[in-house]
Amino acid sequence: MRRALALIAAIALTGALVISAAAAPAVTPTRGGTLIVGSGVDAVTLDAPMITDSPSATVSEHMVESLYRLTPEGRIVPMLALGHTVSADGRTWTIRLRTGVRFHDGTPFDAEAVKFNLDRMLDPATRAPFRFLISRITSVTVVDSSTVRLVTDAVFAPLLAHFTHSSVGMQSPTAVRRLGVDYARQPVGTGPFKFKEWVRGDRVVMTRNDDYWGEKAFLDEVQFRVIPDDGSRVAALEAGSIHVAVRVPPREIERLKTARDFTVFVNDSLRTIYVGFNVTRPPFNDVRLRRALNHAVTKTAIVNGALFGTARVSDAPIVPAVEGYSKIMTYEFDLERAEALLREAGYSRARPLRAVFHHPSGRYIRDAEIAASIQGLVRRAGIELELRTMEWGAYLALTNRPQPENDVQMYMLGWGTVTGDADYGLYALFHSSQWVPTGSNRSFYKNDRVDALLDRGRTTVDQAERNKIYAEAMKIIMDDAPWLFLHSESQVTGIRHTAQGVVVHPAERIELFKAWIRR
Amino acid sequence: MWAYIVKRLLLAIPVILGVAFMVFAMVRLVPGDPARIIAGEAATQEIIEGIRKDMGLDRPLLKQFATFMGNALRGDFGRSVRSKAPVAGEVAARLPNTVRLATAGLFVAIVVGVSAGIISAIRPYSWMDTVVMLIALAGLSMPVFWSGLMLILIFAVWLGWLPAVGTGGMAHLVLPAVTLGMSTAAIIARMSRSSMLEVLRSDYIRTARAKGLAEAAVVNRHAFRNALIPVITVVGLQMGTLLSGAVLTETVFAWPGIGRLLVEGILSRDYPIVQASVLVVAMAFVLVNLMVDVLYAVVDPRIHYD
Repeated sequence: MRRALALIAAIALTGALVISAAAAPAVTPTRGGTLIVGSGVDAVTLDAPMITDSPSATVSEHMVESLYRLTPEGRIVPMLALGHTVSADGRTWTIRLRTGVRFHDGTPFDAEAVKFNLDRMLDPATRAPFRFLISRITSVTVVDSSTVRLVTDAVFAPLLAHFTHSSVGMQSPTAVRRLGVDYARQPVGTGPFKFKEWVRGDRVVMTRNDDYWGEKAFLDEVQFRVIPDDGSRVAALEAGSIHVAVRVPPREIERLKTARDFTVFVNDSLRTIYVGFNVTRPPFNDVRLRRALNHAVTKTAIVNGALFGTARVSDAPIVPAVEGYSKIMTYEFDLERAEALLREAGYSRARPLRAVFHHPSGRYIRDAEIAASIQGLVRRAGIELELRTMEWGAYLALTNRPQPENDVQMYMLGWGTVTGDADYGLYALFHSSQWVPTGSNRSFYKNDRVDALLDRGRTTVDQAERNKIYAEAMKIIMDDAPWLFLHSESQVTGIRHTAQGVVVHPAERIELFKAWIRR
Repeated sequence: MWAYIVKRLLLAIPVILGVAFMVFAMVRLVPGDPARIIAGEAATQEIIEGIRKDMGLDRPLLKQFATFMGNALRGDFGRSVRSKAPVAGEVAARLPNTVRLATAGLFVAIVVGVSAGIISAIRPYSWMDTVVMLIALAGLSMPVFWSGLMLILIFAVWLGWLPAVGTGGMAHLVLPAVTLGMSTAAIIARMSRSSMLEVLRSDYIRTARAKGLAEAAVVNRHAFRNALIPVITVVGLQMGTLLSGAVLTETVFAWPGIGRLLVEGILSRDYPIVQASVLVVAMAFVLVNLMVDVLYAVVDPRIHYD
């Protein structure tokens, strides 16, 4: 016993050394203070399974934790879970849970709590928008207080990645039952921060959880303030009213380079921006035309012009940080090739290809400007696009109609692969079972080989094998060109020098778990 | 007078009912499915159908309206389809912010506008008149999202005297109130000037001057009150507009008022939020109009309501 204790002490000490050594070159973090983040929009709901937007998820993840976590580096690590084993047939998952963890209201976090949360999300009556992430689970069983067993209806490789999603967060069963529908405005999780107040449209305030199971936070308080106007948010950062400003307009980067009190960071995100074609209707049921548009658009011009260099030209339908990514190809800008393809398909300058291009405004970074750039760029190849700018709600309704009545020819959208796994970034967008309104395949793309590969990707556990499967699928997809492949967005964030340890997560989150204020 | 007020309030009931029905029908006529917007791009059709059912959107329109009005009369405006928060609470939380901003903005507008108008009118076509009216024109022409940002830049970023954005103490109110007041002040200034000029040309003013009254007394005692009637009309109209939400000012200054609530509600097709906000705004308009009419009688004894 004594030896065991000594061993534990030694391990603990080594751990402490590693941590302090890592922190030593900088200044030692100080405890206390309030850190204020200026975000563009308010959270919508703080009931984890109901969250669909990154501002809500950002706030929620400080209070509510999941079984696993996707690190900013793209690794999946245990969080409230300790580890898992999978049965030989790949359908039974046994997950061991961290012990001694309590929710902010004192309710113990145990196997019962996990079962409660998973069952709640799986219950169709909950209307969890991301239910499909775990819908392959057919049963959740409590083995003992710190072990749960899950059975899936088929081998489902992305399950672990899906457990990192904020909507599969673990919330206090006591609080969920007691508060009912009002829970959405006063969440109770296990995270390093506890909910304090939410002044709708103005701010969400959280305080440090002093009973946190892991390394406790340094900050006394964290505030997420709603500052909708980009200019005002930057001004508030300059004036020192906030420590962090999200979504700094790319055009401001140059001007803000000279700022003494803060730095503007450009970080990758998991979001791919694309223009989809309806491949079931003329004119874009002709692959030559889809390829012609891909060749006619100078992606670097959009990235460097409209986006001031803050984006990455797509070389696959998903971004490099996603598990399963591999570099496939980029349609090089080639006006002659584009014109040749158009000629083959029967178009010429005298008889130009005309199409209507629907796009949102203000949803993605400079979306309307990018649409206008595309219109201008393809005109050089003799393609005439008519732009239809739409408000988001109406736009979603329009592009979401089922195939027989969907006459949208071209549409611009973005997709954030927030689980960090290729399945999430490809299945819903390219599998033929996912045509809208069922899934998110708005191009009505269908390729039997791609379908088979995407199905296999889900049921293959070996990651090297999965990577090969996805590489093959993406190669066919890019060749079929149901999209005009554009770029992946970057996150442009202004952070004051007094705010240390702020992490900009690729899943479009600001993380303050280890942040502190330098005095 | 009291009978008149009661009559006006009773007349307001059909107006409010009409507004309620109009907004109810209009939000549903706008393309865009609230269930789809709530559920996000990734949700399945099954989930969306479920949400529509929960919201009662699958029921006939008139039935939905009857339920809405029945609940509304009992003060229950339902829950926001997005946040699930009770709508009455959401509106009640925003309303004081809006009233505070509108009142402060109007105060700035009246003080600046009326003074500028009178100064201009006393010396019409002088250099002072030209300068004041040029400033008024500038104030009217400057969009608030620009003038607001300029004020933030000068007073918050450069000088550091005032907070840049957000709500809080009186200091937080200064910049948004000035921004909001500036464009309204310009309208009031131009109205005060022309009204004052007209009054100053009238016979009774000539009489007042002829009997040897000091110019200050002529302007303050005889002209000012008579020149106020059209100004009150303008102020009343502006108050209604300000209460219905100065969306741009609220956006620039991150001010959580009713205007932003309404716009966000419309963008997310949050029907209950839009319905309740518009109803509150309509009631504010009715009340302000009534107040203006009552004020006429107070300012001008010749006006009676019997």
